[in-house]
Amino acid sequence: MASRAPAQAGKFLVGIRKWYYGMCGFNKMGLMRDDTIYEDSDVKEALKRLPEHMYNDRMFRMKRAMDLSMKMQILPKDQWTKYEEEVNYLTPYLEEVIRERKEREEWMKK
Amino acid sequence: MKGIRGISQLSRRFHAAARSGQSLAQPLAGLKVSPGAAHSHQDVHVTKLPSGLVIASLENYSPTSKIGVFVKAGCRYETPDNLGVTHLLRLASSLTTKGASSLKICRGVEAVGGSLSVTSSRENMVYTVDCLRDDIDTVMEYLINVTTAQEFRPWEVSDLTPRVKVDKAQAAQSAQIGVIEGLHEVAFKRGLCNSLYCPDHMVGNIQSDHLHHFVQNNFKSARMALVGLGVDHTVLTQVGEQFLNIRGGAGTTGAKAQFRGGDLRLLNTGSLVHSAVVSQSAVAGSAEALAFGVLQHLLGTGPHVKRGSSSSKLMKGVSKATVDPFDVSAFNAGYSDSGLFGVYTISQAAAAGDVIKAAVGEVKAVAGGAVTAADLTQAKAQLKAQFLMSLETSEGLLEAMGTQALADGSYRTSEEICKDIDNVSLSDVASAAKKFVSGKKAMASSGNLIKTPFVDEV
Repeated sequence: MASRAPAQAGKFLVGIRKWYYGMCGFNKMGLMRDDTIYEDSDVKEALKRLPEHMYNDRMFRMKRAMDLSMKMQILPKDQWTKYEEEVNYLTPYLEEVIRERKEREEWMKK
Repeated sequence: MKGIRGISQLSRRFHAAARSGQSLAQPLAGLKVSPGAAHSHQDVHVTKLPSGLVIASLENYSPTSKIGVFVKAGCRYETPDNLGVTHLLRLASSLTTKGASSLKICRGVEAVGGSLSVTSSRENMVYTVDCLRDDIDTVMEYLINVTTAQEFRPWEVSDLTPRVKVDKAQAAQSAQIGVIEGLHEVAFKRGLCNSLYCPDHMVGNIQSDHLHHFVQNNFKSARMALVGLGVDHTVLTQVGEQFLNIRGGAGTTGAKAQFRGGDLRLLNTGSLVHSAVVSQSAVAGSAEALAFGVLQHLLGTGPHVKRGSSSSKLMKGVSKATVDPFDVSAFNAGYSDSGLFGVYTISQAAAAGDVIKAAVGEVKAVAGGAVTAADLTQAKAQLKAQFLMSLETSEGLLEAMGTQALADGSYRTSEEICKDIDNVSLSDVASAAKKFVSGKKAMASSGNLIKTPFVDEV
């Protein structure tokens, strides 16, 4: 995703990031980074707020990944998620949920 | 020498000029009143901003303040695509806004002991806050956020669906609500026929976009009034100028009220029959509407002594027709371009026909001239007392100020209105009654309707 690699970061940093992204391995199962976040209560709340099509896409990717995992396979290389195509679709919702939780905790302290 | 003297007077002249620009209707700014001195009486101040926003306030020196934002966005402005959106809007008052989260609004209002409430009628939506005078700034911020900076987050809006269902279930418990809603449904075409409650087919189908769209089209500065009790008028005007000058333009014009008349029968197994028979009356605020107001009290609005009996014309007339327990009162509702007047009866299923016909017969008698001057004086006294007593509560006064500010952009004092009530003559009342008798009727009934007549048989 372009916005994750600001121009100042330079080509070298982008290169490292791409390499790391490839090393993580989830992209070989067609997953995105936000599919792999551990589902704690914040994430569960954020998932509830996802627009329906995004939620369905996430479910599709997860089911495909589970199927592949069971069969001990990975996707053909042309179907891997590419670093450039990665979208942090859940992050804005998750950040909002965390912000709301912090606000609630602030009020509770008073 | 003469010239110099001229200059020395100049500053005094400027001073006089500066003073002449200030209204003497309110105390001078900076005037120090000693703590023991009585506060000077103040009138209602009304300012209309260029954007069309009306600001009305009354400084009553109360330790608490009450501020309301009135918007011409009642359920009559709903369209078939977004029926029920005002019901959702009523429930959406504490959702997250751009300036404050849902939690912050609730806790913030709670922390200062205030309250924030939303009510809506067929014409207007009213957002009201109450608070101690010192906390105006805090609470006003929430009020502005709730009325101008809504976010309507989709997940928060969909969480409102159960509350809509609870509201509807509660309303369904009341036969009166069912009859009144049904009455408007048959009485009017478009606009005023819309229900205050979200219709069944729209429950769960009103999305965040519907709410945004409705607010964009209806929450225009020209259709808003900011009304305050126990606040300084200049402070309120500043708030209005700064925060409520949001959207120009006139917004959607609601469908003009058209009376259609008809019959609505809500069958159920209740042993009582609630029934309302009305015809079109007068536009709220007109002289004719006052005649209908007097007529309503002439016919009777219910007992004036708690659990006591009533000697009203309707009660007397109907008691001749049946020995079963019953209740009857005159029904009067005014809107900005129409009104409904008629009789509302509650009776045993078997006696319903007799009760309704006897009640309508009483109005016919009044139309025929069966009114004495003493009856008229009593009815006027009742109407004036009811009107003035309604202004004694802060809710009643705020509502009166707000609805007038929205409708006319001004405020008529209670003295003027009482004078107008005094001017209502016997012939005005008789012609109002004739209008009901000869007019096309609308009727709504609920209960066991085995003996309830149809509208053409009344």
